[in-house]
Amino acid sequence: MVVVMQAGAQEAQIQHVIDRLVSMGFDVHRSTGASHTVLGAVGLGRDFDPRDIELLDGVRQVVRITQPYKLASRAFRPEGTIVELPRGVRIGGAEVVIAAGPCSVESAEQIELIAARVAAAGAKILRGGGFKPRSSPYSFQGLGEEGLRLMREAADRHGLLVCSEVMDASQIPMMLSYVDILQVGARNMQNYFLLRALGGAPKPVLLKRGLSATIEELLLSAEYIMSGGNYNVILCERGIRTFETYTRNTLDIAAIPVIKKLSHLPIVADPSHATGRRDKVPPMARAAVAAGADGLLLEVHNDPEYALSDGAQSLYFEQFDKLMAELRIIAPAVGRTIA
Amino acid sequence: MTIDDWRRKIDEIDRRLVELLNERSHCVVEIGRIKNIAGEPLYQPSRENQVLDAAVRANPGPLPDAAIRRVFERILDEARSVERTVMSDEHGKK
Repeated sequence: MVVVMQAGAQEAQIQHVIDRLVSMGFDVHRSTGASHTVLGAVGLGRDFDPRDIELLDGVRQVVRITQPYKLASRAFRPEGTIVELPRGVRIGGAEVVIAAGPCSVESAEQIELIAARVAAAGAKILRGGGFKPRSSPYSFQGLGEEGLRLMREAADRHGLLVCSEVMDASQIPMMLSYVDILQVGARNMQNYFLLRALGGAPKPVLLKRGLSATIEELLLSAEYIMSGGNYNVILCERGIRTFETYTRNTLDIAAIPVIKKLSHLPIVADPSHATGRRDKVPPMARAAVAAGADGLLLEVHNDPEYALSDGAQSLYFEQFDKLMAELRIIAPAVGRTIA
Repeated sequence: MTIDDWRRKIDEIDRRLVELLNERSHCVVEIGRIKNIAGEPLYQPSRENQVLDAAVRANPGPLPDAAIRRVFERILDEARSVERTVMSDEHGKK
C-alpha cells in the first residue's frame, strides 16, 4: 500500500499515520518529498481496510497494490487453471466448450429433443434448470428434482454433461447425484453461505457474475469457494445492469480479457441472459469467443415461442447450428479449437 | 586518479558503510529486546527526529541536508523492521 500525504501535512499527522501502519504490522518506508511525503507500507500481517488509513488527518490518497483475493488471483497459478470434467471435457484449455439447453426442463420429450440436437451440433454440456427462481411466484417454477433426473438421462443418452443451478446449500447433496457442474446464479453470487458450502463440494462450480457485481466482487466470491478447498471454479460473465434498456443487460465483453489477466480461473460467457433477445445472442456469442472466452452458455429450445420460461432469449435449433458453424471459423482465428 | 582508482575507493567506503550499518543494527537489536521487556512501543517518532536532526547537524556537505535526511529515513525504516523481528521473536519465546 502506498500512502500519499497532503502537501504541507504536519509532522504530527505523518507520525500518526506511520504509527497506525506500524501497529497494523506493516514495515514503513518513508520518503519525504519537497511538498508531499509518501509512505510505502510493505508486508501484510492481516487483512486491513484501506479506508482506515485514508480517513486519517493529512492523508491525500491511499493506493492498494495487492489484491484482496489470493487463491483466485493469476499470481497463484500463472499457467491458468483447466477444469477437468468427465468424458474428457476440459474448460480453460484450447477448446472452447459449449453448454446448451433450455432455460428449464419442461418434459422428458422436450429435454430429449434438445439434448439430441445440441449434441449433434457440437455442444458438450447440457444446461437447464430444474428449480426456476422466477420474479413472480405464479410463474412456472420448474419440475424440481424430476427435471434434473430427466436432464441426466437425456444427457447420458447423447454423451453430454449436465450443468444446473443450485439454489440453496441444502440442495447440494441431492444435486450431486444428477449434475457434473453446480451452477451458482447471478442473484446468488454473494450468497456467502451457499458459496462456503460449495467450497466443500466434490464437483466444479460455475459461478455467474451478479447483475451489479464488479469484477473484484466476482473474484472475491470465487475466493470464498476456493478457500473451502474446491479450486474447480468456472467464472461466467452474463451481463451487468447498465443505463441501456434495449437489451436486458449489457454483456461486459471486456470483462473476459480483464479476468484472464487478473485470475487463473476459466471464464465463459452467457449471451442469452445478457441480451434477453435471441436475435442478439449470436453476435454476442461470436464476440465473446473472439475476446477469449473459454466457453459459452446458450439457451436453445425446440419451440421457443411456446417455452415455459425465457422463450424470447432461446435460440431455434437452426440458429444454434448456424452459430456453431460461425464459431468454428472464429475460434481457430484466435488460437482456439471448437467441437 | 583514474575512474578505476576512484571506484576502488568507493568500494572500500561501501564496505565500511555495510560494516557500520550492521554495527548500528546490533544496537537496534539490543534496544528491541529492552523495549520488549519494558513494554515500550516500536515506533518512537521523537527519537527518530533526534536521529534525523543529529545527522543533518553533522552534515558537512556536499550532500544537501534533505538528501542526508532521506538516506537516514531509509536507515530508520530498516531499523524499525529489524526491531520488529526481534520484538516479535522475543514475544514468541515468552
